[in-house]
Amino acid sequence: MRNPLADVTIPILDDLIESDYVRSLIVGTVGVLGALLVFGALFPDSVAGDLSGIVFSSSTAASTSRLAAPIVLAGLGGIFAEKSGVINIGLEGLLIISAFASVYVASVVGIGNAVLGIPAIWVGFLAGVAASTALAGVFGVVCIEFKADQIIAGLAVWLIALGLAPFMSTVFFGGVNTPNLGARVSWRYSAVMVVVATFASWWALNRTAFGKHLRAAGENPKALDTVGVSVSKVRHAGVLLSGVLSGVGGSALALSIGQFVGSGETMVQGKGFIAIVAYLFGNYNPVGTLGAGVLFAGLDAVQIRLQQLGYAVPDTLVQTIPYVVVIVVLALVGRTRLPEAAGEHYETED
Amino acid sequence: MSRSDAGADGGSDPDRVPSIARRVVAPFVDRSVAERLLISVAAILLSIVVGFVIVLISGRIAQCSTAAWTMPLTGLGFCYDPVEVYVVLFNGALGYPFAVGEPGLFDPNWTPFNLSFGLTLSETTLLIFTGLSVAVAFRAGLFNIGTQGQLVVGALATALTVLAAAPFLPEGPAAGVVLIVVGTLAGAVGGGFWGAIPGALKAYADANEVITTIMLNFIAANIAYVLVLEVFRAEGSSVVATRYVPEHAQYLPWFFPESSDFALLALLVGLGFIGGLYYLVEHTSFGYDLRTSGVQAAAAKYGGVNAKATTVRAMTLSGAVGGVGGSVWVLMSEGRWMASVPALGFDGITVSILAGNNPLGVLPAAFLFGILKGGALEIGFRTDVPTQLVGVLRGLIILFVAMPEFFRMAGRFMGMGSSGPGGPGGSASTAEETGDDSAAVGGGEADA
Amino acid sequence: MNPAVHMDGITKRFPGVVANDDVDLAVERGSVHALLGENGAGKTTLMNVLYGLYEPTEGTVFLDGEPQSFDSPRDAIDAGVGMIHQHFMLVDPMTVWENVVLGNEPKTWGGLRVDEDAAREAVVDLSERYGFDVDPDARIEDVSVGVQQRVEILKALYRGADVLILDEPTAVLTPQEVEDLYDVFEELTDQGKTIIFISHKLGEALSAADEITVLRDGVNVGTVATDGVTREELAEMMVGREVLMDPATTPQEPGDRVLEVTDVRAEDDRGVEAVSGVSFEVRAGEVFGIAGVDGNGQSQLVEAITGMREATDGSVTYLGEPMAGASRREHIDRGMAFIPEDRQERGLVMSYDLTENGILGSQHDPPFASGGRLDWRASREHAESVIEQYDVRPPNADAEAESLSGGNQQKFIVGREFERDPDLVVAMHPTRGVDIGSTEFLHDRLLELRAEGKAVLLVSSKLDEVQGLSDRLAVIHEGEFTGVVDPATVTEEEIGLLMAGETLDDDSVEGAAVHDAATDPAGDAETDDDAGGEEVDA
Repeated sequence: MRNPLADVTIPILDDLIESDYVRSLIVGTVGVLGALLVFGALFPDSVAGDLSGIVFSSSTAASTSRLAAPIVLAGLGGIFAEKSGVINIGLEGLLIISAFASVYVASVVGIGNAVLGIPAIWVGFLAGVAASTALAGVFGVVCIEFKADQIIAGLAVWLIALGLAPFMSTVFFGGVNTPNLGARVSWRYSAVMVVVATFASWWALNRTAFGKHLRAAGENPKALDTVGVSVSKVRHAGVLLSGVLSGVGGSALALSIGQFVGSGETMVQGKGFIAIVAYLFGNYNPVGTLGAGVLFAGLDAVQIRLQQLGYAVPDTLVQTIPYVVVIVVLALVGRTRLPEAAGEHYETED
Repeated sequence: MSRSDAGADGGSDPDRVPSIARRVVAPFVDRSVAERLLISVAAILLSIVVGFVIVLISGRIAQCSTAAWTMPLTGLGFCYDPVEVYVVLFNGALGYPFAVGEPGLFDPNWTPFNLSFGLTLSETTLLIFTGLSVAVAFRAGLFNIGTQGQLVVGALATALTVLAAAPFLPEGPAAGVVLIVVGTLAGAVGGGFWGAIPGALKAYADANEVITTIMLNFIAANIAYVLVLEVFRAEGSSVVATRYVPEHAQYLPWFFPESSDFALLALLVGLGFIGGLYYLVEHTSFGYDLRTSGVQAAAAKYGGVNAKATTVRAMTLSGAVGGVGGSVWVLMSEGRWMASVPALGFDGITVSILAGNNPLGVLPAAFLFGILKGGALEIGFRTDVPTQLVGVLRGLIILFVAMPEFFRMAGRFMGMGSSGPGGPGGSASTAEETGDDSAAVGGGEADA
Repeated sequence: MNPAVHMDGITKRFPGVVANDDVDLAVERGSVHALLGENGAGKTTLMNVLYGLYEPTEGTVFLDGEPQSFDSPRDAIDAGVGMIHQHFMLVDPMTVWENVVLGNEPKTWGGLRVDEDAAREAVVDLSERYGFDVDPDARIEDVSVGVQQRVEILKALYRGADVLILDEPTAVLTPQEVEDLYDVFEELTDQGKTIIFISHKLGEALSAADEITVLRDGVNVGTVATDGVTREELAEMMVGREVLMDPATTPQEPGDRVLEVTDVRAEDDRGVEAVSGVSFEVRAGEVFGIAGVDGNGQSQLVEAITGMREATDGSVTYLGEPMAGASRREHIDRGMAFIPEDRQERGLVMSYDLTENGILGSQHDPPFASGGRLDWRASREHAESVIEQYDVRPPNADAEAESLSGGNQQKFIVGREFERDPDLVVAMHPTRGVDIGSTEFLHDRLLELRAEGKAVLLVSSKLDEVQGLSDRLAVIHEGEFTGVVDPATVTEEEIGLLMAGETLDDDSVEGAAVHDAATDPAGDAETDDDAGGEEVDA
């Protein structure tokens, strides 16, 4: 099947994206948004008008970037882990633990106070990153040193975080939801972090020696081992990076509201799983992941706004769209190729 | 070489050992199964220890007026008593049969037909189905994370079918039996359909089942929610739920208190499923195909196993068992479909992993998680410790069960050597190593 | 002057196994040294010690007279030792230059960027210096096996290797590529590099090496100069006794046509055509052999015949019935036995015991199954009978397949397949990695089958095996038969030419055509109407 969008050339992106498929994704998204803008401008009173008003309003941008931050950042983290050969299905857990830790530490420090000149909210942010990185470190040790099944260990990370965060919240605050900090991180920071992280990840994966080692560790670890680079170290680095990036995402999510919500699936609500979808969708390319993450988050944000404008769209159905899209894409187009050695243990021979 | 002596004995005199008995006993005699068992027990103990530490630490941080527990020697006070937590957890889940701190070990007034034990068994029953669902797929080499969604769909199918069929039948026990059978079948069909989707996607579109089943869980939950919200919602209900199915179409509680949501009959059905699936996996041609696909897909293909059909069948079967779990949830626990479906499907993964994906192992594993569930309620009633602790324990058990190598290392470290759990695994891996690289043993490998 | 490599008294023990027992090895600078021995003689283990992958249990490695102690390959690399493994250690989706510099990337921007230009230049420089023709920007998965091997050599040279170890370097090459490799050896030794290569082929060691060391059962049997030793002497050193390689075949009139393959085409897993129009037939009571260098489409051809893979074109007729669209199951049920090339991937389920493995392929058929239910007692009796008849050791139906040695695994598979009472046996590399005793046993069984009037399709890369056992011999090259010859009269040189893709002059081809009835469409029409009709469809 010939992909008609594969031929469209994009000046800068072509350099960043080798895959036709990712290119199509981006061209398609930009195209739809462009058409919407045109229709919206021509027929301001129609649904298209409302839609384009929503899509291009600053409040939608704000909520999109707030919702996209955890998806894109965790997705970027997932790329690092999986490229190195460790499938990290526990991204959801990393988001949960960092969301809770950031709010908890910020509230312990106290809004208005500072540690070493860093305002409390940013101390909380760093703490969230640290918590997520630590949990990812445990996951890495379990998978790489103790040869655990990666999928099962990833599920365990999710379940532990899902139990631990509300547990700790109840211990400290007497309820699964923390009180609101009364301060929050502006969505603009989230947006900047997402963009910076995306391009830094792209650079790290494609231009640095570390990126090449990461790829080799996931494709043919023996090749890497026989040239004297430790596969374990590279994989640990990949997993830890997934912790750092997910930590940034989880902290940004919680601090952009100023509260951790721990009831049910917690405030993370499956964003870690959507993150996996986003990077698979983006074919392990950070830029593609950014596109997919923003697309999913944008859908959600638009739906929230539509609801506020009085359109009776069952929100649950709109939230289902990304999941359905993923299945359709997996079934029809996106036979994503996992790294050859992903999910396998590697043992050095001695 | 790696087989136990028991096996060799059977080999020398096959007539004296009936083959069926040998096959039934084999999984327990087999060292790798024994090792699995040991690791499962060790994982549970280790998670209890870690949980103990978590309770202690949080007990230090939490605020309380009087210390619930004081650490010996140090005199440090803690808000939570970790010993009490576990006593309440396990004793409470059974309805306090043990008389702690009083003369006589057992409470003479205890009967098994109490509320707490009923709740524990209710959870056990549901987890038997979801655990079996995950285990069957696992044996075929498929990771069905979608049991949750299959259960949701199966449960909805059961509720709607029974609600639709009930008016056509006269009230009474006979109608009840018919409705339960029809409802269970509907659950199996619904769950089976929902399981067949990722199976077919895997077989014919090469779509990874881990991802598709996760997605289908969300889709099932969302679609079922909207369907009930918009179409099937019971009038005047404050929650999103269907009408209650008629009383006579529900499993009767028999000896247990009605509020325990437990029916002995449902547990018996669960036990029947365990036996049936064990037989299916170990003693039928289909089971052979299924297992072979799971352990060595290339060999299965060579042996004439149709990989695609087996994938679809295994996922359909897995989904159907999950769907029956959903029907039991409706007909035993809730009496209706409601939007807040508990995470039984995810717990099924835990159960299956702990059971080593062996249908027979599902029973003790489900019982353990039943205890955790029943005990969690008691912890909530009797202690100040947040009940989410049980969720943490569940995650820890999975994490530890997932890392057998850790226990092998620990076994070796503690000097258990080849007699310990490190034995079979250790020697097998070295044999592989030398086989691959020096091939000095026997005929060597096909790597020319 | 000290030898470039001196391994002194190397012993390497694994739990329960002594892989190397007090082995001495000395290799002069600028020479080519062959390490010769059967599979499992301990050659690879010895070289892994030299490369730092294994630490020797006893003994010392000296390079240029300096004692070395390698903790890892990294140390060996730093000391100037490079190894080219049998399975290439290359990252398929990465480019040639990325693979060459992997782990030693030149960097700019304070380490934040790989200096691609410098890397590319280094690769081009090295290629030119040693006369390699390699495109630095090609992806590994897109280049030929011969080029991949060159990339491996470049990798070692880039890291400053003075001593190059090659593990079975010719196993995957065509005769022409082998010649090119020998030229590369020459180029390298001229520039002062030292080469050690592992081989189990006598001829190869004799033509490429200056000196040969023979290992047997982990012991150094002796080191000899190439010009002072004969083939026979070397063979005896390897095996430890006189070798009778030629199995006795008796002439026999072939019977009915059992298998007919017509213009079959098939693709490999990546969708590249691997078999490009192959036709032949196998008759009852004859062995039809297919020789060729590995990877020339044999696997895909055999898979297309046995129902493991769908042919993209052409037809396969078995016992007069077309097999197009028939499942693997139907192939088994119609009495086609198949000894697969990879016994540990396909032929056996490694974690199953022999009772369970004995019914692989028959799990739906009586007497092992009735009404979907398995009869384990019958299965067990079957496994025990195979074990007894085919001398599988240990004789224990409860033993797991993975606990058996390669030779015994193979005997069990052969026994299981032969006991199906097949009309056709497709045997692929039936003795690969099998010890000599078992090899002779398996050869005898194949010939017995032929004497019983069964048809045998034998695929092997061992020339002496296919030549000795076959009644007719086809040579495959890049998915096509380059010739079908009479194994009794054809010379090894002629087969070598055919394997390299050349065709023979008219005389020999004519002689072969007499035996090759399948390529004669008139013969088809005469004897079998169904087959003729089938051809029109195809």
